[in-house]
Amino acid sequence: MLTLTIRDLQKNFGSLRALDRVSLEVQGNSIVGLIGPNGSGKTTLFNVVSGFYEKDGGEIYFKGERIDGLRPDQIVKKGLSRTFQVCKAPEKLTVLENMMLAAKSQIGEDPFSALFRRPRVSMLEKANLDRAMDLLEVLQLVDLRNEYAGDLSGGQKKLLSLGRAFMLDPDLILLDEPTAGVNLTLATQLLKVIRELQKKEGKTFFIIEHSMKVISDICDKVLVLNFGKIMAEGTPEEIRKDEQVLKAYLSGA
Amino acid sequence: MPVIYFLIYLLTMIGIYSLLAMSLNFQVGFTGLINFGQVAFFCIGAYASSLLVTKAGAPLILGFVGGMALSGLFGYIISIPTKSLKADYWAIATLAGGEVVRLLALNEGWLTEGPFGVMSIPQPLRWLFSKDSYPLFYLFLIAACVLIIYFVLSLLTNSPFGRNLKAIRDEEDLCLSLGKNTRKLKLQAMVVAGMVAGLAGALFAHYITYISPENFKPIETFLMWAMIIVGGRGNHLGAILGAVVIQLFNVSTRFIGGYVPLGSDTMAALRMVIIGLLIVLFLLYAPEGLIRERKKVYHLKRKHIE
Amino acid sequence: MEDPTGAYPGRRGLISYVKLVIPFHFLPHARVDTYSKVLGYYNMDFSQIIANSLVRGAELSLLAIGLTMVFDILKFANFAHADYAVLGAFLVYSLNQVLGLSLFLAVILAAPATALIGICIDTAIFKPLRRKEAKVVTAMVCSLGIGIALRNILRLIWTSRTKTYAIPIQKPIEILGARLTFTQIGIVLTGFISMVIFHLLLHRTKFGKALRAISDNRVLASACAIDSEKVIKWMWFIACCYGVMGGTMIAMEHLLYPRLGFDILIPVFCAAILGGIGNPYGAMLGALTLALAENIVLALDFSYLISLGGLFEVGPIQISTGYKPAISFVILVAVLLFRPTGILGRK
Ligand SMILES: Nc1ncnc2c1ncn2[C@@H]1O[C@H](COP(=O)(O)OP(=O)(O)O)[C@@H](O)[C@H]1O
Ligand SMILES: [Mg+2]
Repeated sequence: MLTLTIRDLQKNFGSLRALDRVSLEVQGNSIVGLIGPNGSGKTTLFNVVSGFYEKDGGEIYFKGERIDGLRPDQIVKKGLSRTFQVCKAPEKLTVLENMMLAAKSQIGEDPFSALFRRPRVSMLEKANLDRAMDLLEVLQLVDLRNEYAGDLSGGQKKLLSLGRAFMLDPDLILLDEPTAGVNLTLATQLLKVIRELQKKEGKTFFIIEHSMKVISDICDKVLVLNFGKIMAEGTPEEIRKDEQVLKAYLSGA
Repeated sequence: MPVIYFLIYLLTMIGIYSLLAMSLNFQVGFTGLINFGQVAFFCIGAYASSLLVTKAGAPLILGFVGGMALSGLFGYIISIPTKSLKADYWAIATLAGGEVVRLLALNEGWLTEGPFGVMSIPQPLRWLFSKDSYPLFYLFLIAACVLIIYFVLSLLTNSPFGRNLKAIRDEEDLCLSLGKNTRKLKLQAMVVAGMVAGLAGALFAHYITYISPENFKPIETFLMWAMIIVGGRGNHLGAILGAVVIQLFNVSTRFIGGYVPLGSDTMAALRMVIIGLLIVLFLLYAPEGLIRERKKVYHLKRKHIE
Repeated sequence: MEDPTGAYPGRRGLISYVKLVIPFHFLPHARVDTYSKVLGYYNMDFSQIIANSLVRGAELSLLAIGLTMVFDILKFANFAHADYAVLGAFLVYSLNQVLGLSLFLAVILAAPATALIGICIDTAIFKPLRRKEAKVVTAMVCSLGIGIALRNILRLIWTSRTKTYAIPIQKPIEILGARLTFTQIGIVLTGFISMVIFHLLLHRTKFGKALRAISDNRVLASACAIDSEKVIKWMWFIACCYGVMGGTMIAMEHLLYPRLGFDILIPVFCAAILGGIGNPYGAMLGALTLALAENIVLALDFSYLISLGGLFEVGPIQISTGYKPAISFVILVAVLLFRPTGILGRK
């Protein structure tokens, strides 16, 4: 069974305890939400899990294997990918190229194959192109396909990062505030897509979100992080009623 | 007709520098690796090939292959620290690395003949041609090399490999988050670039038949940088255009030097002042260069366009 | 370009001279200080090495301080820094040799003049780049171009011929077993005093406070109404003045020629990075460490090691002086690889 298990994870920035013995579990084929006031360590958690920051203690297991200490790209190859809160959009790559970039196991990534196995490479490129266009249609980015990603608006960059994540097609996707800056109708539609992917393809999502509505709509389970600690855990209803959580949010705001 | 020979010489040098500029552009313009020691590749390619041929008695073709291989190996070695170094630190290290390669050529006299240089380097297929027609043949040889390298590099940069390199240049973290092994990609890019510049070195050595450490001073790196900044980065044609412009300027001012009442040192200094200013002015006012990077547009099936 | 200095006089190999002789004398004759022999320092004059290192350390740290400040505040490696310094050294030369001013007076006039030029270059080139929020790499490549242009402008004005200042030939005096000229003593003292002044500047003035604030957090600093452009101008002023002092000292000790800036660039970078970029005290420590390393490595004699403890007869085996510029490179790469934050690094 696919699960992400985190035990006693610690991360310090100097004297600041960004993650203080965080333990949690994300069950396979589910959508788990992560909420918490600004600066509570949510993004840091994603950064450590995806291998961008080194942990200062604790263990991370994915599909039963330890993944802490691996490089980010090695973790992705195990089937765990993430998006960034502040979107990364390569300045001089078009939207479509961004999508093509994300496709996994491309033999053309090897310079030798790129030169000497051209027919196979271009066949794969065609298949990827089809899939990329289908995804762009869902994300309503088709008309922008030849724009440079660097020229997109913030919301469009968010959409594109979702698109890349879907294109990459990992088993577990960590989404850092995927709907921030995206207009409401599109956001709703995105959530539908995420739901569908979970139902039909058995994908797992771990989502940082601020909007309680989004959380209630799609999450099976919600975790609350405050000052680097998990302070509550439960279904969206339970969390909504939790006094402590309310207090944390009020004091944070 | 000396003018014709001057022209052939000019074109030949343009060809050699086109290769060097394309190689530098592959690193800087496509992969985002700021290499201030590009001349080291050139030096290694030239020395390796000429020493293999003159000292080890290898056939010429082996000399060329060896020059490319050794230069590629050097690319491999200097790409190792890119995994832990920030771009600016790496740039400083490459500048120093380029100097060290020249110091080795200068000081390891048992191998390189030190400051005296390697002399009477044989030329490929020299016996087939008369003294007058050989330069023309060599020009064609170099033109063929430039064409082939242009073609090969275009294939590479248009492939998924090239797309990955551009993504590293623009957003390395994103690349990592998509599962690309950026270390390996940079390494491969440096090896490819090293081989191309090494080829240029070998072609240069067997063309002028005499090389010494004097040929591989940092100023050569600066010229190559001027080429890609003026011509435009992320674009092979830009690199070639840059090589044409800068070499025309460089060689023609040397030519004009004979007719103006200025010392050769003054002329050389003036030339480099202008090169330095060109770098600064282009970065300030035309950062894209003469030919800007082309947008990649995919051909789509009709289904998608309607 | 010619190499007017003969800066690379050692034209021997890395290992200069090994003669293989059938070893009849298996037992090493001197067992006494095997330790110092194996490590290769038995022939060294330590007090002299330390004295030489102090001189070179003083020169390098004056240059490294400016470099490290620019790197810290503007976030780019200024490849033209050493060329600013040499420009100043040439101005000193003209004032000294042509107008006949004393060296001291010449430096006092040349330093602010160079600083003015440095500030003009910043206003004309780096400031527009900052405004456009160009990548730091662009500023770095720009500084390379500025360095090339500047170096060759010096060549146009003062020609490539080497220059010296009007300093009378001095007889070295002996201090604690080391022989030093008055010039060298002056260099060490000036270096020391400049460092103290720098410390006071950084901690006792409004400029120093603002500079440290910007270094720590630019956004916060601008929120506290610190005019960062003004601070940047002052920073250039100080970086250039210190650079001119350092450049003049190096020119006093050796020779002055237009390419000098390029020749000292790598050691200066090395000193700055070795101490920890952005840390002025690190720059001083890095400069001293590098100077010591340079002098010791060149003085080491590997013959005992190479001869496998006296099995072969070999001549003295030392690193060829032709590789002196390479020493700072090797140290630089080692530091970059193993401790990129430097000795006193804080980031
Ligand atoms: N690279 C870093 N260096 C220093 N401090 C950091 C770094 N990244 C995050 N922090 C600090 O860690 C805390 C948690 O940040 P973050 O994980 O981004 O919060 P969230 O995503 O929940 O808003 C914040 O106080 C932030 O200032
Ligand atoms: Mg966050």
